[in-house]
Amino acid sequence: MGQMILFNAVQVFVVVTLAPLVSGVLSRLKEIVQSKRGPSVFQPYLDLWKLFHKDEVISDQSSWIFRFTPYLVFVTPIVVALLIPVLTDYPLFFAFMGDMLGGGFILALGGFFATLAAVDTANPYGPVGASRTRMVGFLAEPVFMIVFFTVSFVAGSTIPYIVQQRWVTPLSTFFEPSHVLLMLAFIMLILAEGGRIPVDNPTGHFELAMIDESKSLEYSGRGFALMKWGGYMKLFVLCCIFLNVLVAPWGLAQAQTLQAVLLAIPLVLLKILGFVLVLVVIESSLAKLRLFRITEFLGAAFVTAVAAMITRLFAF
Amino acid sequence: MSLIALPLIPLAAVLLSRLPLGTRFAPAVTLLAAATAFALAVRTALRVVAARELVALAGWLSVDGLSALVWLLVTFVSLMAALYSWGYLAAHESDARRIRSYYAHFNLFVFALVLVPLMAEPAVTWIAVEFTAVFSVLLVAFDNTRGALEAAWKYIALMFMGAAIALLGFFVLFWAQAAAGGGHDSWDGLRAVAPGMPPVLVMAAFALILVGFGTKVGFAPMHTWLPDAHSQAPSPVCALLSGVKTTTVLYTLLRLVPLLPPARAAVWLQVVGLISVGVAAFLLLQVRDYKRLFAYSTVEHMGIIFVAAGLGAPGGFYTAMLQMVSHSLTKSFCFFAAGAALLAVGTREIASVRGLIRTSPVAGAALLFGALAIGGAPPFAVFLSEFSVFRAGVEQHDYLVTALLVVFITVAFFGILLHVNRMVFGRPTAPVPPAHAGTPLPPTCVLTLVLAAIPVLVFGLYQPAWLHGLLMLAASRIAPVARP
Amino acid sequence: MPGPSAIPWLQNLNALAGGLFLLATFGMVATRQALGCLRLFIAQSACLVLSAFLLGMLDHSWDLMVVGVVDLAIKVFVNPWLLRRSLGREVYTRREITQALNVPATLLIALALALTGYFLAQPLLAVTGGADIGLNLPIGLAGLLIGTFTATVRREAVPLFLGLLATENSAFFAGLAVAPAMPLMAEVAIAFDVMILVFVVGILTRLVHERIGTTEVGALTALREEPKA
Repeated sequence: MGQMILFNAVQVFVVVTLAPLVSGVLSRLKEIVQSKRGPSVFQPYLDLWKLFHKDEVISDQSSWIFRFTPYLVFVTPIVVALLIPVLTDYPLFFAFMGDMLGGGFILALGGFFATLAAVDTANPYGPVGASRTRMVGFLAEPVFMIVFFTVSFVAGSTIPYIVQQRWVTPLSTFFEPSHVLLMLAFIMLILAEGGRIPVDNPTGHFELAMIDESKSLEYSGRGFALMKWGGYMKLFVLCCIFLNVLVAPWGLAQAQTLQAVLLAIPLVLLKILGFVLVLVVIESSLAKLRLFRITEFLGAAFVTAVAAMITRLFAF
Repeated sequence: MSLIALPLIPLAAVLLSRLPLGTRFAPAVTLLAAATAFALAVRTALRVVAARELVALAGWLSVDGLSALVWLLVTFVSLMAALYSWGYLAAHESDARRIRSYYAHFNLFVFALVLVPLMAEPAVTWIAVEFTAVFSVLLVAFDNTRGALEAAWKYIALMFMGAAIALLGFFVLFWAQAAAGGGHDSWDGLRAVAPGMPPVLVMAAFALILVGFGTKVGFAPMHTWLPDAHSQAPSPVCALLSGVKTTTVLYTLLRLVPLLPPARAAVWLQVVGLISVGVAAFLLLQVRDYKRLFAYSTVEHMGIIFVAAGLGAPGGFYTAMLQMVSHSLTKSFCFFAAGAALLAVGTREIASVRGLIRTSPVAGAALLFGALAIGGAPPFAVFLSEFSVFRAGVEQHDYLVTALLVVFITVAFFGILLHVNRMVFGRPTAPVPPAHAGTPLPPTCVLTLVLAAIPVLVFGLYQPAWLHGLLMLAASRIAPVARP
Repeated sequence: MPGPSAIPWLQNLNALAGGLFLLATFGMVATRQALGCLRLFIAQSACLVLSAFLLGMLDHSWDLMVVGVVDLAIKVFVNPWLLRRSLGREVYTRREITQALNVPATLLIALALALTGYFLAQPLLAVTGGADIGLNLPIGLAGLLIGTFTATVRREAVPLFLGLLATENSAFFAGLAVAPAMPLMAEVAIAFDVMILVFVVGILTRLVHERIGTTEVGALTALREEPKA
């Protein structure tokens, strides 16, 4: 049991330390595709180090929510990382603490408090972005639900580890239509929840057009560092759920030894970097959607998810 | 051999009418081709009455009683339409290229119409029915006015929608045949295994084909394209569309009737038919355009034929065939008369036309004759066939259906006569001056009116033995096979 | 011809082709660009061809293979080319599709129609079922309903017609599994017939464009019974 706790700690440590690397690689690749040189892949680490050493300026109009939120946004992805398979094939110590729905709600908790904090200051751009984030959030909720329901229906359980073991077991089921459609729906969901193009522009500086970036407009110093780090970890956790549970549950540690777990780290990183390539292609080839078109985008994701459910429930 | 020759004649006429040999060559070639085709169809009909079925290519091309009947109607109406087009088009058009294009499309349309009854395989029949739709679109759009293009667009969109739905129905029908143990892939083969086909599949196939081809026939509520297309096209084309094209598609639907379980078939056919008759009868009352009036009357008559087929053996099927014949002949005459009226006054609006009998006696008399005939007044053919339907209904103890039918037909009769009466009698109004107002009626048009009026009158008084034999043969083809 | 161990793979690939076919149909409903709709139609036809080849391999039927080849030539290459020619000038005047209903509502109705299609197919499948029919028939029926619905809400000529072509594709998709032994000549002739139809519709669209100035056929509502206001 002590080993299980150790592996869980290793898992959390991996999520915390490697998340900025993944974001760094994503930005560098995007810049390369645009024929620029781009910042170093370790730039996010340097940014975080710099921000931790700066002073914080907090508006005196804000309440305790504003001060509390960065810690919450930092911690919620870590809690979710305890629940999902990041490095191992078998359930770890905290695996049965919550299932996929619970993980989804915990992530939503972080997003909810970020929205509140954005409204908390007297900055007008905060609430504008917050209301848009909520719109994207509640349109994405039905898609989450349908995806999780279908996956749980097939696997017979909502615990991510068990789903992962049963989802792609005979390899021919990889090509099942429900599988492919769910993959597509979940990719659209990652684009929406992670604030990436075509839903939102993560590198934009124009406050009137910000959706997800507006949550960290007013923060500085340590608070800003924690918000950024939480954002990187949320994307990392979503990728882990997508890859390790739904799409490609290979390369995870099978044996219950420390070497296997440590060996799994570069393999999982490789998988995530493969997915980052797909994200780069999507982001570089699409344009940002106009705000009212986001409804259609998420409507299409919903329809795809329900089509996956239909083909699973009624076929054969 | 004559079976294969008959469709080839209009096909040859298509090519010949494209030749730029003056404005009179194309109409002459078309007329000659139509006359030859009619002669061949008469000969085929007589042979079929003797031999029950003629086979040109086993399993693919064959003609039985029902096909021969439809062939007769198609070739006769196309002959009349070709004769009528000669004068009508000469009065309307002077551009030689457009005249040649009209006749080329006309012959192509007739080719497709002739092809449908010849096909013995269901899927190929679908293809032929599609051809009739595709080759007639540009004829509907011929006038190139805004209204004609709107009608043509609605026409092709709804035709294709119906065809796609019916295609799935044909696939399911094939599936039902395979489930019943296979058998020869033709209408005869289907009839042979009909009792063994799973009822769910047969009814599903029939439902799909009814919706799909019902759109093409003009059953309510899918009839919305019919008044537009059948009024905006040039009058001889309208005669072909209303007189024989809808009949040809209905022929395909009637081929399915023997495959259905008889009790269910009767209910479905009668309900669908009655809805069409009722809707058309009431919509007739408020038309503003006399060609649309006759178009709605087509919807009504298609419904009557379907109800008659739903009345079942033995009288119902025979009267359905008789109604088909009388409707084709009478409706084409009505559209010829409408075309004559259009040439005389230049407008299609009922409200603008008064006292036609004085302005143009021939057009007025023809219009009155046509309206009386299609409404069902004695002593015309439609009266005889409708009365036979009533009698068959009473014999089958289907009193409700017969009563409803009587009511609807009376309403329609009243509607048609109301409008036509206003047009033909009354003080003549000053004619609205478009280009063709007051044109004297071309002699070929007058000749066509006379020739087309003859069967309408004769078949209401006397039924020749060969016609009776042919109708009996045709009716036996849609009677269901004996079920265990 | 593949051995028995390859059959689950082929069936799963056929299921994938079916799922992508359904997705392409939904995509045609959701898209806002006329050229996008055309590209999704090409994708849908490609899924149809793929399914034809897979079913041909499964049933050991050369007929279906030939049908696949003919459909590849006609539905994937010729028909879109003919449509693009009649759409060509239009692209620069009407790139976006206007509908009588907004897109999310249309998507939800399309979803409801897909579910209806699946439910309607169940009694038919209860009679004789096979794995292939069980997949192709519901998807074909769903596509038929969705295509017909799309054609009723669209206002422009070519996207409306694309909806109808999608309906025909779906009917054919169902027919591949339901009636695999249909005479080859009939299936090939059906494909050619649709090609002639597309050609004629191209001519008609051009006539409409020349005479009326736009291909927004949804605005042509002059022929009716009510008195002209």
